[in-house]
Amino acid sequence: MKSINEKDIHSFVDAVSGFFAQFAEEKVEIRAAYLVEGAIKPSTFELTSYITLSGDYSGRVYFSAPRALIAHLLLMMQEPNRNDDRLLDAVGEIANTISGNARKHFGETMEISVPSTEVTETGWLDTVVSPRSYVILVKWKQYRASVVVDIQRA
Amino acid sequence: MKLMIVDDSAIIRSRIARILANPRLDFIRTIGMARNGMEAITLFMQQTPDLVTMDITMPEMNGVECTEKMIAFHPDCNILVISALSDKATALKALKKGARGFLYKPFTDEELVAAFLELTSS
Repeated sequence: MKSINEKDIHSFVDAVSGFFAQFAEEKVEIRAAYLVEGAIKPSTFELTSYITLSGDYSGRVYFSAPRALIAHLLLMMQEPNRNDDRLLDAVGEIANTISGNARKHFGETMEISVPSTEVTETGWLDTVVSPRSYVILVKWKQYRASVVVDIQRA
Repeated sequence: MKLMIVDDSAIIRSRIARILANPRLDFIRTIGMARNGMEAITLFMQQTPDLVTMDITMPEMNGVECTEKMIAFHPDCNILVISALSDKATALKALKKGARGFLYKPFTDEELVAAFLELTSS
């Protein structure tokens, strides 16, 4: 298994920026993209989704955000229904969009699953397995969110 | 024109339906929605829509396979694939199976309106 490189990570940063760019009035800020090493664990927020990769890659791509961020996004999308089911659906769709957009760089041999979603505690992500996974910290309006890229090349 | 929306995300399905309220698209009427390829095929056989928006990454049956089955049954149907999969190979695969257009997620309201107008004018 080979670790991914900086160029690979940049494709996810681009995908995150691209997702939020549809809400033109407020740009997303990428606060940091750092390597998770040793005892440091990536942080999670209230809602988390992940995409499982297969094909020439293995691992997961996570997106985690507070309820308030997702509710705000749905408001901007004029979605009238903002119950937990819709919030989780939105978190899953964001993870799907970020991973799908990254295939522009990785190609079709990076196969992606449908999203899995869950209500999580604000805390730490324990399921990261790659010795070199990356966290991309995002700020949009007053909210923070994170994307964890825990993937390896076969 | 009769439209069917196929996407496993409820927020995307309702967003597409809302965008159709645009007066420039008043000739399009949503006749059904499906959450996966299997559901979509069943509904398609019952309703024979003229226009379909099709996601690719879905449970049960993916959008490329679903497109192929729909076109085999109703070759004149206009299928617009709406997917986050941004590699060229996926778009080409869907077009090869009979889709008439491809729109990448995330999309703006204007982009979807333009895609519908382009698809239905040809």
